[in-house]
Amino acid sequence: MTARPLLLVTAALALVAPGFATPGDETAAGHDAGNAAEHSEPELPPHSRAPHQVDVTVHDDAWLLVNDYDTFGELAEADPERFEFVEGLLEPKDESGEVIDTYDGYRDKTGRVELRYDPEAEDVAYFERVSAERLTRGHENYIQYCASCHGLEGDGYGRSAQHLRPPPRDFRVGKFKFTKVGVENLPSDQALVDLVKKGLDGTPMYPWALTEGQLLDVIQYIKSLSPPESGWRDVYAVVKGPVDIGEDPWTNDVQGAVARGEIVYHNVGCFNCHPGYVTPARIDEIVTGEGGIAKGSYREDLTLPKIVPNTMYQVQGYKTSILPPDFTWHSIRAGRDRQGNLSALEIARTVGSGIAGSGMPQWKGSMPDKDIWAIGYYVRHLIETYHGKPQARAALMSELRGGN
Amino acid sequence: MNRLVSLVSRARVRWLATPAALLLASTAASAQEVVDRWGPTPPASTYGPRFDSLFSLITTLIGISFLIVLVMLLVPCLRDNAKKGKKAHFDHGTSLHDKRFTAVVSVVVFIVLDAWVLVRAMGDLREAYWNVPAPDTPGIFKVEVLAQQWAWNFRTPGVDGELGTPDDVITINELTVPIGRPVVFNLTSKDVIHSLFLPDMRLKRDANPGAINVAWFEAAKSGDFDILCAELCGYAHYQMHGKLHVLPEADFPAWEKDASALALAAYDANDTEARWAWDWKE
Repeated sequence: MTARPLLLVTAALALVAPGFATPGDETAAGHDAGNAAEHSEPELPPHSRAPHQVDVTVHDDAWLLVNDYDTFGELAEADPERFEFVEGLLEPKDESGEVIDTYDGYRDKTGRVELRYDPEAEDVAYFERVSAERLTRGHENYIQYCASCHGLEGDGYGRSAQHLRPPPRDFRVGKFKFTKVGVENLPSDQALVDLVKKGLDGTPMYPWALTEGQLLDVIQYIKSLSPPESGWRDVYAVVKGPVDIGEDPWTNDVQGAVARGEIVYHNVGCFNCHPGYVTPARIDEIVTGEGGIAKGSYREDLTLPKIVPNTMYQVQGYKTSILPPDFTWHSIRAGRDRQGNLSALEIARTVGSGIAGSGMPQWKGSMPDKDIWAIGYYVRHLIETYHGKPQARAALMSELRGGN
Repeated sequence: MNRLVSLVSRARVRWLATPAALLLASTAASAQEVVDRWGPTPPASTYGPRFDSLFSLITTLIGISFLIVLVMLLVPCLRDNAKKGKKAHFDHGTSLHDKRFTAVVSVVVFIVLDAWVLVRAMGDLREAYWNVPAPDTPGIFKVEVLAQQWAWNFRTPGVDGELGTPDDVITINELTVPIGRPVVFNLTSKDVIHSLFLPDMRLKRDANPGAINVAWFEAAKSGDFDILCAELCGYAHYQMHGKLHVLPEADFPAWEKDASALALAAYDANDTEARWAWDWKE
């Protein structure tokens, strides 16, 4: 007897259920198409490989650059308990066993850092031995957290990297846009940790919640991807922390900083690539001719940024283009501090260090630190006043376009 | 029944009444606060109220049946429990009377709850959720969504109204749409299954690799709303969220013009790998 109502329910459901399937069955067709594509492809393209198709274990220890000979000297002097100066520390020999040269240098009492000779470059630099176990740990975490975009082997072309602009970094190149260490330098571990912890706004590079230990392992693995003679295997490379632009000279005069920033921004011709944020007439007033830009010779439409083609960031061999941000429209990548607040310091550091391979030069050295700070304040002011505020921005643009 | 009343009044009421009364009083007073704080945000799409009313209907029906079941459980527990000189016994409910009772309850529950909800739900699905405006509907706003680990790529047509052209506005984790126009999505994924979730619009639709799914909504309120991923898609699933900006009619054309101009400025004709538009699926 109890079975009867159950039967009723089942029968009623069976009558109604086909109604569910009819309107929403586009997935079924798509699924078939997906299967067909899979069968017709004999070999998977690089971005389609699955993690299990990659050997996670790193078999060899890696010697990774700590610093070049000269820069390391300064670091070692600062830590006399760990490093002692030894005359004739390294005497590299050629194939026949004859001593080629003699190098004085610092010996690490912990034994991790060594002065090593590179026969190709015929020069020495300080390298640190990173164990294969540590690199394997780094590779495991890398596959877990990074590989979907940066590729299983660090080539910047993972499964999810397709069509992404800007493209994810190819770690074999050893160039990074927002480590803020200067365009010619390699970033220190701490600079890379900072970048990963803060993320890059407006891209899928989020602030990642890895532990510091995991992160440092991943960073060692990323460094070990440098091919011979380049990146962290290049004896001439200089590893640096964020560029030093000194103390904030504008603490008590933010308005003064913004006003000075407006002048510097337009005088040195930032509007050659980024938009100009004052009228052409005002630009004429500002430009002195000494900032590197000639009076009167400006781009046609200063309200739009100008694309930089042919940058050093490649996707499958093609050098991609980069649109410099319009600060009133785009989100900037690395303008926030660890607390997530828009920071004049961070913006000024980006300006000071430049953005490697993108067309943004290193301004540190080309203008006083005080002016770099002023640009930081000015850009922060632009973002705070106009970004995400359509009406305020429309009013500014209408003014710049002469009422159009 | 008299025995039940006397039982309850005798002992249990004394220690049950005070907390029960407190609970009832506080619930009644703060129900609105609880809904405001923990309940869903007010619907921001034209069809949102439909789904909210379906949700309320289900909650009410289930609530009522829960109370009925509770009473039916409590009454025999209190009436037939063990007492001095009487042993409680367990009944398997095998008598004809019990079977009839079960059958009647099942049928009533099915007709009142399941059938009612089913009919309402099918109506909502047919008339709202599945009722995607045809591509030639005037004023339709098409959006292509390419989900990935762990971000939303959006492509909107720009001023020319055509997808797959250089002035397409391409954004990551940010989508700007006009109010009062049907927004139609084509969704797919690069890697694993994601699910586009616009909680304020009461819209959720999977993005499957190898398939193009269609969904739509029409915003009834302007403002900034959440875009979430509702399908566990890997380590950074929790970070995969964005912002939906619904612009008032007056602001949208100016926004679209600027966005298209910047898209054209960023367009690199030789960068074929950057393209990902597809033929529109109805």
